[in-house]
Amino acid sequence: MSLELILSIVFGGICAVTALLVITRINPVISALFLVVNFASLAGLYLILNAQFIAIAQIIVYAGAIMVFFLFVIMLLNPESEKKFFSHKPYIKIFTVVIVAIVFVQIIYMIFLAQPSEELIKESAKSVNAGTIEQIGRELFTNYVLPFEAAGYLLLAATIGALVIAKKKFE
Amino acid sequence: MQIPIEYYLILSAFMFSVGVVGVLTRRNAIVVFMCVELMLNSANLTLITYSSYLGDTVGQLFVFFVMAVAAAEAAVGLAIIIAIFRNKLTINIDEINILKW
Amino acid sequence: MNFESLNTSLQFLKPEIAVSILLVVVVLFDLIFQNNKKALPVISITGLLVTGYFIIEQFTLNGYAFNLLTADAFGAFFKLIVALSAIFVILFSISSSEIIRCEDRQGEYYTLILGMVLGMFLISSATDLILIYLSIELLSLSSYILAGFVKTVERDSEASLKYVIYGGVASGVMLFGISIIYGLTGSTNLYTINSILQSAQLGGFTFIFAGFMVLSGIGFKISIAPFHFWTPDVYEGAPITITAFLSVASKAAGFALLVRFIKITFFDSMSESGYWILLNVIDWQSLLVLLSILTMTLGNFAALWQENLKRMLAYSSIAHAGYLLLAVAVLSNEGLIAVLVYFSIYLFMNLGAFFVVMLIANKIGSEDVDDYKGLGSSVSFLGVALAIFLLSLAGLPPTAGFIAKLYLFIALIDANMVTVAIIALLNTVVAYYYYVRVLKNLYLVRKEVEMEPVGVSFGNKIIILLLLIPVLVFGIYFTPIVNLAKSSIAFIGF
Repeated sequence: MSLELILSIVFGGICAVTALLVITRINPVISALFLVVNFASLAGLYLILNAQFIAIAQIIVYAGAIMVFFLFVIMLLNPESEKKFFSHKPYIKIFTVVIVAIVFVQIIYMIFLAQPSEELIKESAKSVNAGTIEQIGRELFTNYVLPFEAAGYLLLAATIGALVIAKKKFE
Repeated sequence: MQIPIEYYLILSAFMFSVGVVGVLTRRNAIVVFMCVELMLNSANLTLITYSSYLGDTVGQLFVFFVMAVAAAEAAVGLAIIIAIFRNKLTINIDEINILKW
Repeated sequence: MNFESLNTSLQFLKPEIAVSILLVVVVLFDLIFQNNKKALPVISITGLLVTGYFIIEQFTLNGYAFNLLTADAFGAFFKLIVALSAIFVILFSISSSEIIRCEDRQGEYYTLILGMVLGMFLISSATDLILIYLSIELLSLSSYILAGFVKTVERDSEASLKYVIYGGVASGVMLFGISIIYGLTGSTNLYTINSILQSAQLGGFTFIFAGFMVLSGIGFKISIAPFHFWTPDVYEGAPITITAFLSVASKAAGFALLVRFIKITFFDSMSESGYWILLNVIDWQSLLVLLSILTMTLGNFAALWQENLKRMLAYSSIAHAGYLLLAVAVLSNEGLIAVLVYFSIYLFMNLGAFFVVMLIANKIGSEDVDDYKGLGSSVSFLGVALAIFLLSLAGLPPTAGFIAKLYLFIALIDANMVTVAIIALLNTVVAYYYYVRVLKNLYLVRKEVEMEPVGVSFGNKIIILLLLIPVLVFGIYFTPIVNLAKSSIAFIGF
């Protein structure tokens, strides 16, 4: 067993378990903290997959900024915990879980049916190169400069919008 | 040593399904948003996996954009939650029902 | 990338550049001249008219910008629809009591409307999945905020919350579908994906699943049946101006994207009579026919029980999305012409109906169908206008709505889809009931309370006439829009 395999099993396991914990904890603060762990271990997986830049961005943007924001709003609103997870219309929730389980099985089945691994053999040299900041930056500012600008406008609209909605009174 | 690509794809499918279950079953609007983030992250994992196995940068670029969108969406969503909390003093989706769901 | 190609790319982006500059100008103007809110709509409309000029210029263009976006007549047509409806919505906003009440937030309101316009422009010409995803999100984020814009009203913030939750889930599902498509083909460009699909045999089943996931994201935007849950709530809760904008422009952009996605990604060859032969990956025709029948039946029957006029118009717009989807499902040039004709007429009649409902709601403070009882004599001009718009939505002969439906049915029958045409026809008959019920309340039910006549300002009369005249004229003299539609179906590459 190589270190790569062990690490990816560890990170993947943490990802799966924390994802489940996020949706089963009653207290939203605990959910949010498990989501941080989930994002951090995802960053670990990205490192194994040779996506260095995205791994760092994942830690800074997701686990850092976005989740701090979530925790901040939870603290601000201090919502009561949902008392009983399955109390309200339990049959609907059980139905939901069954449906999603079917979807999940379907997705796995189809991934195996497609068998992408037969065609895709990881080329380490190429993939190491693909994940560098230099490579991403070059693509971002040449071929994909238009989406980059669109993302800028998206962030502008979101900033203005969040201010309008959340501010109590405008002077 | 080669880790089969299915390993990552199954993990991402699992996270996606968990996210969908969370959105459908949880009643706290903030937790619902966290589950949406989970769904976005599972898609990110798929993109990064394929990008790495194909040796192609575009997938990672896409993830970078998705992160920007996720941040914007979280900001807007949480602002709306704050606005609705001011009006109704609750963020439980079951109690927010002037309009029929 | 050299400067020459940058220059040609920018040539094709003129409308988008114009709108983005306009957006920044509005933000800056609002920051610098804080007390001059009255000028904002004027600036926006002027800017949009300039944009309209660039769009008309684009009808003759043919080319790619940055390999991410195409400039062609088809995209220009939908951009024109978006720009026109944006101009009308801004005109509506000037006299909407809901928007006037948030005097202090006018600048943000117009900025976000322009944000939506920019998003829709990009959607209607994007051919790369990254740009498609980003522009859909730009449109969505701006509309989430506008849906809850009058935040002191509980109904509004609730509509906004529901919109953002459904929208977040839809975009998550769509993104997952896109990620699978990227994985299977190794590209995000629709043309490249098409050529890969043509040459290699991919895991078909997985691709179907991914295609369906992307369809659900687009379906959310155009509110077709299994993804329509947000529509009635958001349309009822949002300010009427925004409801009108969502029901026309957002839908137009979504349909442009749907047609482009299906036609470019799965295109195989074109038969002599103008039918598209698609790659044997997904049976799009059966899928779309199924969804459209579901959509129109559900929309029409749910509209029957609605008490709130806005909610009723929401279900009616779901039903119209069903008819439009049926025209797409024909998968031929003739069907596409029907879509374009339908949209250019739907623009006027739907915006008109919403505007009249808004003016009446400004006066009587209610949108309930029951509160319209006996209003006919006191709202003489508005009543007649509403009657014409509703009859046009129902598709009765002298109005333009009839022509829209006529082209749809001709396309269906030419494609030998007679059973489907009969189902659509029965649906139209059901729709008569709820449109006519409003008119019955207006004119045939006796007044319960005496109302003084509701006056309409001169400006608003002009706006109504601007919407009313096309509805009447296109009902008789429809050659220009048909010709426009025929010249706009050219796609780059095929």
